[in-house]
Amino acid sequence: MVFTTFVNFIRSRGPDEFWRKRKIFKLAAHMYGRRRNCYSIAIRAVHKSLQHATLGRKFKKIHMRDLWTRRITAGAEQHGVSFIQFNEGLHKNKIQLNRKVLADLAVWEPATFESLARLGEELDNYGNIKE
Amino acid sequence: MLLNRLVSIARCQTNINQLTGFFQKCKISSTPTALSKLEISKPLQVVNLNNENLDPVKNINDKIKSDEVGRLFAVIQLLGKQFKVTAGDVILVEGLWEPTNGDKLRLDKVLLAGSKDFSLIGRPILPIGLIDVQATIIEKSLSHTRTVFKKKRRKQYMRINFARMETTQIRINSIEITNLVDKDKTINDNREIY
Repeated sequence: MVFTTFVNFIRSRGPDEFWRKRKIFKLAAHMYGRRRNCYSIAIRAVHKSLQHATLGRKFKKIHMRDLWTRRITAGAEQHGVSFIQFNEGLHKNKIQLNRKVLADLAVWEPATFESLARLGEELDNYGNIKE
Repeated sequence: MLLNRLVSIARCQTNINQLTGFFQKCKISSTPTALSKLEISKPLQVVNLNNENLDPVKNINDKIKSDEVGRLFAVIQLLGKQFKVTAGDVILVEGLWEPTNGDKLRLDKVLLAGSKDFSLIGRPILPIGLIDVQATIIEKSLSHTRTVFKKKRRKQYMRINFARMETTQIRINSIEITNLVDKDKTINDNREIY
């Protein structure tokens, strides 16, 4: 078949139906029930799951930060220091360790973490070392 | 409505308090605060966990001199991310970065170093020349494909993009203490820090 007019090109619907649908079915292969077998339902599910995946990448960062904060809080409270006091001690000392590393230290390096928790005690309100 | 307003007022109050508190601090503090400049050399502060009457700095220096430090770990900063590493680790960093396969690096931004007996904490980084972290670039490649898919229902809006980031695998070869920890002497070197 040869299109002699350009308009007919626009009307052609891209790749063959089988291959067009197979792309979607591949992504729906792990789903349950009609979501994996019926195209009109499958494509809805695939679109939704891709949206979730895109958003999930953003939420993962937020959730990890929450988790790290909770771990640091628990670690600091073992030494009788609240998270706010602990953070203040670090800021006064200009220590710029981030939450990921601090949570890691709280779990695997208890002695280092204890010394970090104790740092704040030895400073006055203005960040100078007490004599 | 009323409740909402009350909440917002309460929030404002705390904001103002925090602000004034902050300014007061700035005024009263005797030492000039140079926040824009990195201050690396400052007097040592010692936290002694054992409550013994030993001088901790001397104790640490003795250990460094007699090679009893043992295996060290360090927290390093690379491309805006921090990693806790020991010798032999492989770390993966994402993003555009110049070094190519087989390049050897000395990582300067060491925020913290520790052994089984002591830990050295930088404010914000340890003096350059104190800890020597050597690393090699092993592999440069691309990450897996991330699908960025956006759709709005009933608005004829749908976008799909694919992204792959450049990744670099780095092997940490060694972490060593190359100088003594000293109260009076701070190692000053006017190199640029990367």
